[in-house]
Amino acid sequence: MAGKRGATPATYSPSLTTAKGKKKPPIFTDDANWVRSDGRHFHQCRPAFLRIATVNSASGSAYAEFGNTKVIVSVFGPRESKKAMMYSDVGRLNCNVSYTTFATPSRGQGSDNKDFSSMLHKALEGAIILESFPKTTVDVFALVLESGGSDLPVIISCASLALADAGIMLYDLVAAVSVSCLGKNLVIDPISEEEVYQEGSFMISCMPSRNEVTQLTVTGEWSTPKISEAMDLCLDACSKLGNIMRSCLKEPLSAPEE
Amino acid sequence: MAAASGSNLSSEMEVDAFRRLFPLRFHERHLLQSIRPDGRTLGKARDTTIALGAVTSANGSALTKIGCTTMLAAIKLEVMTPTAESPDEGCIAIDFHMPPICSPIVRPGRPAEAAPVLAKQLSDTITSSGVIDLKELSLVGGKAAWMAYLDIYCLDADGSLFDAALLSAVAAFSHLRIPVVSLNDEGRIVLVSEDNGGGKLEKEPVNKEKRKLKLDSLPFSLTCILHKNYILADPTAEEESIMETLVTVVLDSSSQLVSLYKPGGPVPAHTSAIQDCVALTRQRLKELQKILNGAISDMEVD
Amino acid sequence: MVGLSVGEKHFIKGGIEQNLRTDGRKRYTYRPIYVETAVIPQANGSARVKFGATEVIASVKAELGKPSPSYPDKGKVLIHVDCSPTAEPAFEGRGGEELSSELSVALQRCLLGGKSGAGAGIDLSSLSIVEGKICWDLYIEGLVVSSDGNLLDALAAAIKASLSNTALPKVQVSSAASDEQPEVDLSDEEFLQFDTCGIPAIVTLTKVGKHYILDATSEEESQMSSAVSVSVNRQGRICGLTKRGGAGLNPSVIHDMISVAKHLSEQVINKLDSEIAAAEAREEDVP
Repeated sequence: MAGKRGATPATYSPSLTTAKGKKKPPIFTDDANWVRSDGRHFHQCRPAFLRIATVNSASGSAYAEFGNTKVIVSVFGPRESKKAMMYSDVGRLNCNVSYTTFATPSRGQGSDNKDFSSMLHKALEGAIILESFPKTTVDVFALVLESGGSDLPVIISCASLALADAGIMLYDLVAAVSVSCLGKNLVIDPISEEEVYQEGSFMISCMPSRNEVTQLTVTGEWSTPKISEAMDLCLDACSKLGNIMRSCLKEPLSAPEE
Repeated sequence: MAAASGSNLSSEMEVDAFRRLFPLRFHERHLLQSIRPDGRTLGKARDTTIALGAVTSANGSALTKIGCTTMLAAIKLEVMTPTAESPDEGCIAIDFHMPPICSPIVRPGRPAEAAPVLAKQLSDTITSSGVIDLKELSLVGGKAAWMAYLDIYCLDADGSLFDAALLSAVAAFSHLRIPVVSLNDEGRIVLVSEDNGGGKLEKEPVNKEKRKLKLDSLPFSLTCILHKNYILADPTAEEESIMETLVTVVLDSSSQLVSLYKPGGPVPAHTSAIQDCVALTRQRLKELQKILNGAISDMEVD
Repeated sequence: MVGLSVGEKHFIKGGIEQNLRTDGRKRYTYRPIYVETAVIPQANGSARVKFGATEVIASVKAELGKPSPSYPDKGKVLIHVDCSPTAEPAFEGRGGEELSSELSVALQRCLLGGKSGAGAGIDLSSLSIVEGKICWDLYIEGLVVSSDGNLLDALAAAIKASLSNTALPKVQVSSAASDEQPEVDLSDEEFLQFDTCGIPAIVTLTKVGKHYILDATSEEESQMSSAVSVSVNRQGRICGLTKRGGAGLNPSVIHDMISVAKHLSEQVINKLDSEIAAAEAREEDVP
């Protein structure tokens, strides 16, 4: 088809048939007994699957899967900074997040999240001991294989695991979790469908052992008690996620040697 | 390799230094013993695995690994209006991506040179092999047909990229499930949700039977390195960087030659060497078919 | 960025500790705020805001557009910020791009709420004209003319002032068949004033040493460990929050910073409102 590709016609993905006048059933209700579409409680995270050293050609790498959110992160370096860069007595961190074309339900939507690269940078830079690799750059590249909601927190957690795998000196691992505000309820680790309906979102990335927050973003309208509630919820989830990440790093060591 | 047999640290260091300083001599001394640094014999390919359905947001997908080389292929189907020249044919658009995660030489904003070359090769191979009948992608003659976007992502680049990419593409096509759709009043194609199958449908689906593509004569490939008199099957990235003459043979299921690439290189290949490459590919074809069939039957059991 | 000697750094930090900053301010005092509205005649609304030596311009351009299919009853607002090379030598070429995108994202987060537009400072439903057919698209452009710290607060203030200056022409919709795009008539005489009472103010607290300061200059910003920008509306509800700077913060410190920001926001909003009112009054005096 290569020859015909120049004249590629406009395409669209077929949408689901919905009878006119009938709306899709709402994803949430204010009902206290409401159960999330994947059967979780409001304050229950998706099961996390983490694996390190997935990319052989990188200095360090990690793969994370939270439900349908699948992310792979490679770390290269510390290596020579770009020629144009000026001398710096601390190391540089360079982050890039990209999406596969099939990551989102309709093709090529991933470019909506251009700010993720700088968000990832800000979440990680506080945790890296940049003084330990002067004049050089550490590159953190993330690829979202499939976007299933809460993409950024998964990218951040996965990237910190990849940095640890690469042997980059860190103050602590960075774990990130987000909550969505849906009606009166706070739901943790939202999936894409829930994110579409959210009235507000709250994301925290922190270093659990040091009890320090490296990045915090809030959108939507929040009252102070709700912020506190969300923060407590996230910090608790972050420390749990931190433990899972730690055990994932230890896994290859505890496995019997062949 | 006398040095390699030594077990103390200092001699191990020496082997490593030797490998970095004199890569060609290091490899040639292995080849003399008919063995390769990773312990393979010359004609042996690395372990290969295929996992189907790795991406749930796509209509068909596959993750393949040949040694460390990892490829993720996914197909997304969209609807298009067929061209006037071929009103009852769909279309396939193939793209190959090398994101910065796959290799230290690729950086954001500076794509790998190999990517567009491989994309073209893959596109040519899949089109010319006739593995997919484009008529099968037609929905409503002259009105609507499927546009299959096949995107292949290299997640880890460690040599023989074409073989891994082609394998993942073929596997993704065998995993492809076409959704049931119908034509609505406005002339647009809409999905028919599967769970209300018992209920009354406003429109009859236009493609009730065509849920899977009929795939005949799947293409499989093997890349070999020609170096002096040696032929090394399925090279790693290190081997590819040291010995630069590559031959890629693509055969279909009935062992017919689909295509053959020998993009220059310092070693002019003897015809007999090419024949040897084809023979190696024929063996590899059987292995790959078995692995793919295994993956398909695994999936059907689930 | 700012080349400071060890002594100067020490002086800045010491001053903040003793609640007397280098320019004579206390920790929670703003620099003099200056607001001027209607600075760009072509735009639907515009304003220039100065916080001391920091100067920004914001303009609003309104166009009729089609609402996105997912939110048919809402208009669209796009915020973009540019950093002029005149503001700082580092912004030359592509140098300002990173900061520009950072500021744009922070403003979008603080003013536009979540993806659905719920909880946004700018009421997107008020921009709807015919549901699913026509709405107002507001293009808000911010320009940093001179940079001396606290850009985000200044930009948010400028956007608020420019929106307050914005008048949207009255739209007459001639009723058409439900499937067709209705025809519209823009009035030349009747304008609707944009309602800005819900628009939050952004209060950035910059942490230097143990203390936080308000309205930091770029010299002070070079000494910061981190900064938290909180956007608070008149009801005292938080509409957005972003953190800058590399260092981690203890959660209790964040709580404290939020409550301080909330406390200060009231006075900031009042001050800004009176400045905007004064600027608009001045403008009316000029024939």
